[in-house]
Amino acid sequence: MTDFKLSRRTVLGTSALFAAASALGGMPALAATRLRLLWWGSQERADRTNKTVEAYKKAAPDVSIDGEFLGWNDYWTRLATQVAGRNAPDLIQMDYRYVFEYARRGSLLALDDYLGKSLKIDDFGKDNIDSCRVDGKLYGVNLGVNSSAAFFDIGAWFDAGVPAPSHGMSWQQYFDNCVAFAKANKRKNFYASVDASGIEPSFELWLRQLGKSLYNDQGKLGYTAEDAAAWFQYWTDLRKAGGCVTADIQALDKLSIETSPLTTGYAATGFAHSNQFVGFQKLSKAKLGIAPYPVKPDGKPGHYMKPSMMMSISAATASPDAAVAFVNFMVESTDAAQELGVERGVPASAGMRDVVTPMLDEPGQMVVDYIGKLSDLAGPLPPAPPKGAGEIAFSLQRISQEVAFESSSPAEGGKQLVTEANSILERA
Amino acid sequence: MSSASSPVTAPASGRGYAPPGRLGRILSRNGPGYLFLLPWLIGFFGLTLGPALSSLYLSFTDYDLIQAPNWVGLANYVRIATADPKFNAAMHVTFLYVALSVPLKLMFALAVAMAFNRGIAGLPLYRAIFYLPSLLGSSVAIAVLWRQLFAADGLVNGMLAWFGFQGPSWISNPHYSLYTLVVLSVWQFGSPMIIFLAGLRQIPGDLYEAAEIDGASNWRKFWRITLPLLTPVIFFNFVVQTIDAFKAFTPAFIISEGTGGPINSTLFYTLYLYQEAFGFFRMGYASALAWILVIIISLFTAFAFLSSRYWVHYDE
Repeated sequence: MTDFKLSRRTVLGTSALFAAASALGGMPALAATRLRLLWWGSQERADRTNKTVEAYKKAAPDVSIDGEFLGWNDYWTRLATQVAGRNAPDLIQMDYRYVFEYARRGSLLALDDYLGKSLKIDDFGKDNIDSCRVDGKLYGVNLGVNSSAAFFDIGAWFDAGVPAPSHGMSWQQYFDNCVAFAKANKRKNFYASVDASGIEPSFELWLRQLGKSLYNDQGKLGYTAEDAAAWFQYWTDLRKAGGCVTADIQALDKLSIETSPLTTGYAATGFAHSNQFVGFQKLSKAKLGIAPYPVKPDGKPGHYMKPSMMMSISAATASPDAAVAFVNFMVESTDAAQELGVERGVPASAGMRDVVTPMLDEPGQMVVDYIGKLSDLAGPLPPAPPKGAGEIAFSLQRISQEVAFESSSPAEGGKQLVTEANSILERA
Repeated sequence: MSSASSPVTAPASGRGYAPPGRLGRILSRNGPGYLFLLPWLIGFFGLTLGPALSSLYLSFTDYDLIQAPNWVGLANYVRIATADPKFNAAMHVTFLYVALSVPLKLMFALAVAMAFNRGIAGLPLYRAIFYLPSLLGSSVAIAVLWRQLFAADGLVNGMLAWFGFQGPSWISNPHYSLYTLVVLSVWQFGSPMIIFLAGLRQIPGDLYEAAEIDGASNWRKFWRITLPLLTPVIFFNFVVQTIDAFKAFTPAFIISEGTGGPINSTLFYTLYLYQEAFGFFRMGYASALAWILVIIISLFTAFAFLSSRYWVHYDE
């Protein structure tokens, strides 16, 4: 047996070799600028985004962009972990709910210095630029305008012989129509409506029609237990009358396009954001229509136009100029507009809107139409949601299930929601 | 580190290459051994012990991933113990799951192992087939499959419909959702079954022969011979499966898509911990939750070991 000799030289030599090898792996390709792009969304969005990245290669051959996408929930986990690990992607798809948190923590690049230079978005209009500002500074570029909407299966409503949701329909009319739908319907496990009691944007719209809001500008709750109870009561009555899906079917809805009862064939009407119409139609065998939410008797609509999402740039990026150039390409070039369509919302740029509109397929046209008609009715953007708002949305969903499965009454549910929301806000 | 300071130790073998100090000598003698152990050592210190200790530290802070952690003392633990309804919900779900799934799984595994032990043709094939679910068990694909089986229009309801039953959507009904996960766990009986089978093979056949001569019934043989002699194996399986059940995560995560719903009915402890950490970024709080789970599992294991001398029979 030979002795194994471990000399100082061997150890040093080996570790040097390892160090060199690992350094090689981390070395960026020479010359080319590499940018990482992270977004959330469906496969449909991924296909469109990847084609846009391809198109950008022609415009800027020395810049390569590595894209990666996740579902909504996983996205925020990944982003937070990467930002915390000082490994943030250069280009970050951002949401109105989170932009305040990230911007105030200094994780995002302020874009004001690029405005009018490499970022030429003057044709967005003031509103569409200001909606991406935090404390007066611009931290994102509007990727599309959207608003809440009702989507419905045109054929199913027609067959039932009941009017489908339409502009100006009241909540009471919607209720009666859903019940009439149930009487005419012959399909098993099929209902006129989803149960929207746990869907936060729907609750928000209902509140806005009452002149209230989810949160006020001090970051406190903008509604009372009675408001929430009335909301739960409406859906409880509808559920009991057979007008909306049962509790166990609604519990399958994870608030994504893929799991919505409208997509999975349990309901003829669903509620979502207008830009998601393209994705919903893609997954639905039935032809879908789009309409505003039902309204209160005084007809006050609760809708508002919001940036469906924005593109932000990491404050830690090594190549801010290249990143800004790509963002500008996304929102202000014909090539990108062709690929992206209105899947992320209707382009904020008036010029791009004109480019996109004629070449859209039918669902795309309908979205542009919808947003066009809605813009006169839309109210102001609500104040920024406070920290903890995301957790409260989960609470709303869970408490709506407690009411739906009858382990609490609508009134108890309302009280519970307000108590829980307040304690989350206190803790955050 | 000079050899002069340790007069007791004589200079080593006198090989020219040996470095002077004591550490040097140890290294030169055991160095190769440590070198081979290095992958494990790096893994243990770098990926297990290091993070575990830092999570212990973080459990006393308000770390939120973005900002530097601030020391908050016992605040996290106090809140868990006194003011956290979700913690109570998660404990309830987890204990119910452990209490149901572990005994059922062990009984099922033992029953199958006994059937196999009677000697059937093609045993290796059956053994492999029955073991398969355990290999796939914690995979995402199986959880997705489960979701399909127990959905409103899934296979289970399709079969119930033959008998005129209209089943609910099992996985999204808070009255049943946890039980579908218990069934999923019992279905993965493969690894305890294999171990039981090996244990059964160890029981000397002459004991049964003697019992038969004395006219013992099968039932009596099972209670008086099989079970007592199998207790070391039962003990092992019990401890391993209990720890596993406490740590169950994937099935609930996939089936409820991370929500622990409906109405927290599948909010496993680990899922709640994950939500706090990666959903709401309360890393400090989640670390405290994790350490409480460590304590609970340790207590259970300690209890199992202490009790074992009263019911586990070793040959010797």
